[in-house]
Amino acid sequence: MALDSKFSKILSSLSRWIFLFKDEHFLLILLGIPIGICGGLAAVALNHSIEICSEALHVFHGHWTFVFFPAIGAVLSIFVLSVIFHEGSGHAVPIVIYSVLRKGGLLRFRSSVSHLLGCLCTISFGGSAGPEAPVVVSGSSIGSTIARLFSLHERQRVAMAGCGIAAAISAIFNAPIAGIVFTIEIILCEWSTVNLAPIALASVTATQTSRILRGNQIPFEHFPFEFTTLDVIACLGLAVMVSVIAVLFSKVLAFAEHTSSKLASNIFVRGIAGGICVGLIGLFAPDVLGEGYHTIRAIIEQRYAPTFLILLLLIVGKIAATSLTLGTGSAGGVFAPALVLGSMTGLCYWQMLDSLWPSREWVGGGCFALLGMAGMISGVLHAPLTGIFLIVEITGGYEVVVPLILVSVLAATISRAFLPASIYYRELMDRGQLLRPRTDARILADIDIQDVIQVNLTSIPPDTPLRDFSNIIQRTGESFFPVIDPQNGKFHGLVFVERAQPYLLSQELYDAILVEEIIEGSNAHVSLNDDLLSVMDRFEHERTDVLPVIEQGRFLGAIAKSDILDQYRKELIVQTTT
Amino acid sequence: MKDNLLHIYRNTPFGRETLMQSIYFCRMMKNIYLSVYIPKHTQFLMYFESEVVTIDLDSSYVASPDAAQERVAKMIKEAGQSFRFLEPTDFTANTLPNLPANMTYMTCPRSIVDSTSHIGIGYIGSRVRRIVKNAQFPVLITPPSYKEWKSITVFYGGSKLGRNAVRTAFHMADRTGLPLTIFTQLEPKFSDTYEKNLKEGGLLDRIKQDNIKWRIYDGGNLEENLFNVPFDSIMVVGAAGHGSMKELLFGSKLETIQRTLPNPILVVGPHCTHSDDYIVDAPSTN
Repeated sequence: MALDSKFSKILSSLSRWIFLFKDEHFLLILLGIPIGICGGLAAVALNHSIEICSEALHVFHGHWTFVFFPAIGAVLSIFVLSVIFHEGSGHAVPIVIYSVLRKGGLLRFRSSVSHLLGCLCTISFGGSAGPEAPVVVSGSSIGSTIARLFSLHERQRVAMAGCGIAAAISAIFNAPIAGIVFTIEIILCEWSTVNLAPIALASVTATQTSRILRGNQIPFEHFPFEFTTLDVIACLGLAVMVSVIAVLFSKVLAFAEHTSSKLASNIFVRGIAGGICVGLIGLFAPDVLGEGYHTIRAIIEQRYAPTFLILLLLIVGKIAATSLTLGTGSAGGVFAPALVLGSMTGLCYWQMLDSLWPSREWVGGGCFALLGMAGMISGVLHAPLTGIFLIVEITGGYEVVVPLILVSVLAATISRAFLPASIYYRELMDRGQLLRPRTDARILADIDIQDVIQVNLTSIPPDTPLRDFSNIIQRTGESFFPVIDPQNGKFHGLVFVERAQPYLLSQELYDAILVEEIIEGSNAHVSLNDDLLSVMDRFEHERTDVLPVIEQGRFLGAIAKSDILDQYRKELIVQTTT
Repeated sequence: MKDNLLHIYRNTPFGRETLMQSIYFCRMMKNIYLSVYIPKHTQFLMYFESEVVTIDLDSSYVASPDAAQERVAKMIKEAGQSFRFLEPTDFTANTLPNLPANMTYMTCPRSIVDSTSHIGIGYIGSRVRRIVKNAQFPVLITPPSYKEWKSITVFYGGSKLGRNAVRTAFHMADRTGLPLTIFTQLEPKFSDTYEKNLKEGGLLDRIKQDNIKWRIYDGGNLEENLFNVPFDSIMVVGAAGHGSMKELLFGSKLETIQRTLPNPILVVGPHCTHSDDYIVDAPSTN
C-alpha cells in the first residue's frame, strides 16, 4: 500500500506535538496501543469465525462425505493465498522472522488478512493446523503498516512488528506474558529495553481487547495438582518422550513440505491430495482434525481416556494430518497441533507410568498433559521460555512451574541435539538467512558487495616489461594491479607489489621478465552475486587479502579484505547504536 | 562500483525489444553495467526503504530460462555491453526471491502483464507504477518497439520533483553528450515557482551559461505542444507535480505525456535519490 507522504508527515509531526518531547520511546509505547487493539481484534475475529464455521460444518462430522472436506478447505485456502493475495503458502512464521531479521520489519499489508482467511478455510473444513501463525502474520503486518504510516525507521519498525506479534499471541491465548516471551525469544531473537516496553503494552492491550470481547477465560482449566519428588523425577522420562515426538513431528513436516512439491507441481493438486489424505485419517480419528483445542481440554480435564495404543495411533495420526495439511500448502500454524501432540504424549506417558507402577499414585494424566504441551512447544520451537510461560498462563497452573521448567528445558536441549533448527528457523537456515541481530554473519550480510569493490584501479597489459611495471608502481603507489589484455579485455590475474618484490629488487631482470610471468597463479575470484560471508570464506581459503571481481569473463574491480573490515566496523556501529 | 541498470527479461519478441532498449540506454550512458534477471519464479519482491513491492509476472517471463539466458548473453555480447545475470541470493520464501532495490536505473515495459493491449502507449500497469512510486532510482519506461534517441527532453512543471527530473536530465546530458531541452507548459498559478525552484537547486545558472534550450509554452494544451518534442528524444519526467498525493498517484502531466508520446520515458519517482549527489557544475565562462 503506498502511503501519502503528506499524511505521514502530518501524523509524525502531530505525534511530536502531542507528546511535546521528541522521545521515540514514548511514541513507540503509544503506538503499541493501536497495534495491540488491532492485533487483538484480528485474533478474536479469527477465533470467532473458526468457531462459527466449524459449528456450521459440524453436522457433517462422522459422515463419509467429510473425507472431502479438508480437501475443499485446502483448495479454498490455497485459492485465497495464491490467487487472490499472491502469497506464499504453508505456515508463514518464517516469512515474519525473515522480515524482522533481514528487512527491518517490512511486511506486505495484504498479509494482515490473507493468512487469516486462508487459515479460516483450512481449520473450518477440518484441516489439522493452528490459528496462531496466521494471527502472528496478521499482527506483524498491522504493526509494520502502522510503522510505515508514521514513517518510523528500521529498528522502530521492527519493534512495531514485534508489538503486532505479541498482541496476536496474547489475544489468542489470553496470555500476555507468553506473547511477550514468544516475540522476544523466537521472532526478535534479542532482549532490548527499547523493544520491551511497546511490546509489553501491545500485549496487555491485546489481552484486554480479547477479554472484553470474549471474557476473561482460562483456555484450559484444570484441577489442582499435588506434585511429589517422584513425580518431578518422572518428568525426566516425559522430557525424553516429548523430544522424540517433537523431532519426529519436525522431520515429518519437513519431509511433507519437501516431497509434496516434487510429487505435484500444481499447488491445487497438492492441496487436494493432502486434504483427501487428512480426510481419510479424520474418518478413523476425528480428534486429529481442526486445531484440536477441544481434545486438549478433554485431556486436561481427564475426560479423555483412550488406551495407550490408541493414543500412540492418534499421535501418529496428528503428525501425519498436520504435515499433510501444512506441507501441501494450506494456511495455518504448528502451534496448536504441537499443543495437541504434547497433551497426547503427556497422557500417553502417564498411562505408561500407571501401567508400570500401578500401586503408585501419580499426579494425574491431566498434569502430565500440561507438561507434555510445554515440552512439545519447547522441543518443536526450541523455545523453552515460551513453553513455560504459555502453559502457566493458559492453564492458570503456577503450581506445576518446577516440572514445567524441567521438561521444557530438557525437551529443548534434547531436540536441539537432533534438529539444528526449529520448525520456524529450518527454512531460513537452509537458505542461509537465519542471521540473528548483532552477529558476524548478520553484519556481513547487511553490507552490499558493491560498496566494497574498488573500481578505479590501474590495469596493465600482460606484456608489460618489469621495468615499466616498476615505473607504474612508483607513479601510482598502488599495492596491486589487474593484468588485462587491452586487445580483448581478458583478465589474466592480479599482480601484487609485495609478492613481486624479489623480481623488482633484481634490476638485471627488468628487461627479461614480463608482468604476465609474475601473475598470481590462483583463478579465485568473486562475482557480484556473492555475499560477503562467502567472500570472506574465500579470502580464508585462498590465503589472500585481495580478490578480483569477475562477471561474464570481464574484470569489474577488486575487493580487499581491509575494505570489508572498514565497512564492517561502520555497519557494526549502526547496528549497535539504538 | 559503477552504475547499473536492472532489466527483468521477458522471453518473448516484445521482451527482446525491451532488452535492446536497455542495452541502448547503457551504451548511451556509458559505463553502465547491465544486470539482467531471468525469472525462475512468477513472483519477486523488491524491498524499498519503506515499502515492499510484489511483482507478479506472467508465464512468458519464466518460459525456457536456459534458452532465454543463451539469447540474452548473445544479444548483449554482440552489442559489446558489460553485463551479468542477476541470481537472487536473498529469498523471502522459497519461491519468492528478492531483487536488489539499490540499482541506479531499472527498465520496465509499460505493463508487466501478458495482455498485448497493455503494452502500447496510454497505459502504465499497476506494478510499474508501484516500482516508480517507491524506487530510489529512475525507471526507464520503454515504448513497445526498439527506438533510438538522439536528444534529451525534460518536462519541468515547476515542482521540486520536476527539479529532480531536470537534475537527472543534466546528469544524462553530461554522460551522453546529447543536447538537452527543457519543456515547460506554463500554468499561471505556479508562475513564481519555475525559476525559483531551479535556482534553489543550483540549476538555473547552468541553464543560462550552457545556453540550454528552455521551451516554455504559454498557451495551447499539453497534447498539442508535445508535438514539438522530437520523435527521437528520450523524455525525462517527474512522477508527480505539485499535488499532495505524490506517493499515491502519478501527476496529470506524466499521464498526458505517457498517453501522447511514443518515446522512451525516464520517470523520476518521489523517493528517487539517484541524482541527489550529482553536482551540476556551471561551465567555465572563459
